[in-house]
Amino acid sequence: MNRPSVYLHVGRTAARSHLAYLGEVAARATFLTVLLYIFLQLWRITYAETGADRLGGFTLAQMLWYLAMTEAIILSAPPVTPAIDQDARTGGIAVHLLRPISYPFYRLWVALGEQLVRFALNALVGAVLATALVGPAPLAARGVAMFLVAIPLAFTLDFTAHLGIGLCAFWLEDTSGLALLYRRATMLLGGVLLPIDLFPAGLRSALAFLPFRDVVYGPAHLFVQPDGDFLVRLLVRQATGVAALGLVAAAVYRAGVRRIHAHGG
Amino acid sequence: MRALIDYLRLARMYVGLNLRAQLEYRGAFVAQMAAMAVNDAVWVAFWSLFFSRFPVLHGWKVDDVITLWAVAAAGFGLAHAVCGNALVLATVIAEGQLDVWMLYPRALLPHLLLGRMSASACGDVIFGVAVYLAFVRPDAAHIALFAVLAAGVAVLIVGFDVLSASLGFYLGNSATLTDQWRFSMLTFATYPATLFRGAVKLVLFTAIPAAFINLFPVRALRSLSLADAALALVGALAVAAAGAAAFHIGLRRYQSGNLLTMRG
Repeated sequence: MNRPSVYLHVGRTAARSHLAYLGEVAARATFLTVLLYIFLQLWRITYAETGADRLGGFTLAQMLWYLAMTEAIILSAPPVTPAIDQDARTGGIAVHLLRPISYPFYRLWVALGEQLVRFALNALVGAVLATALVGPAPLAARGVAMFLVAIPLAFTLDFTAHLGIGLCAFWLEDTSGLALLYRRATMLLGGVLLPIDLFPAGLRSALAFLPFRDVVYGPAHLFVQPDGDFLVRLLVRQATGVAALGLVAAAVYRAGVRRIHAHGG
Repeated sequence: MRALIDYLRLARMYVGLNLRAQLEYRGAFVAQMAAMAVNDAVWVAFWSLFFSRFPVLHGWKVDDVITLWAVAAAGFGLAHAVCGNALVLATVIAEGQLDVWMLYPRALLPHLLLGRMSASACGDVIFGVAVYLAFVRPDAAHIALFAVLAAGVAVLIVGFDVLSASLGFYLGNSATLTDQWRFSMLTFATYPATLFRGAVKLVLFTAIPAAFINLFPVRALRSLSLADAALALVGALAVAAAGAAAFHIGLRRYQSGNLLTMRG
């Protein structure tokens, strides 16, 4: 029963049930329209004042497409931590343990299914808006392909971090503060608002040891500036990050599950 | 005048009661405040990074953006620390939950608004004041003007919350539309006014009155300009008046949800 096809089915079901909420698209369109318009104004003025054609290696059009994709990624993150927090804190996880599938992998595939739908919609809305604001994407099919190759591991890496945080609910009263800290760190240090190429050199070097840039900056950078070597390095970093954070989450999970006391009912 | 003093007393009592209620869950209260302060700090960090690379943005420097975030966060926080129900007013209207508030001998809108405190909003207030004092290092005159302008922003935010939530009287369940309108307001309000030109600037003085947060208060604090401060306050009062008018006209269309509600 504990086969990959089972998890694929879980992911597919999560994706299909999330498709029922297409009404969210309108809300997301407003959200992205306001953000991208403001970013366009910010960068249009910055390019004009510096007199540069490229900043951090990006033209203005590439910058806006980069930001459209970073926003599409960050806004597609499903509420993983609250669900795991709830399961751990209320003991609801005991019900999941009765099932012949792994709880962390079940949560991973639910998250991936949901995130896939959200991301597709966000990327579509972002692409339409970016085209309207700065014209068609200055990109090649190669960039889109590399972007799509990097996205699944980026989502998995992000999930693994959220899993570890959510499981802390076995010990903490509330993990929402930790989750917020992680989300904001991803936003700032992941290059959502400002490409990492524009960070001070010292900070850029420090970020090389953290997973945030591999969730957002890496895939979005490939989208506008496809590069085979960059893709290989990114995939290696993402896989290493998933393995390292996965080991931590597994240890937290094992320690947490030992604390469960079921009394029937 | 007596009515105003009477309501200020009521506000003071409600703030005291709401604060004591929040302190019953001291850990959660502190955690929510800290989380909001961290959230705000990320934006200040972003702008610090931005200005470290590009020192001037159309005449705005990093101090201007920090002033903007300080006054906006303090004003937004003050609004919802005192009038926390402004955040959920759209739902209260859509679900017909106004009945319980109509039973009191107080005027409906101000009494309803005072009924709750948002814990995270207290984090906004602390962040706004702390960041202004720490980064801008103002003198006494600037601190006094900052306090007045933050209060003005709070009036504007509550007025705008009421205005946007009152859509519910006219459109039924308007929660999504209200959220989008409010989100647009807050987003525009936290970016430098200098970014916007032409028709968008007109919108920022009318339908999305963000200019009364991201333009006049910053100019007033930059050069201690009382004229700009007065414009910020006039804008805030106008938005509050529009909100109150939209609420009271809409109230005639209100339909009870026949809900049994208890207030603790």
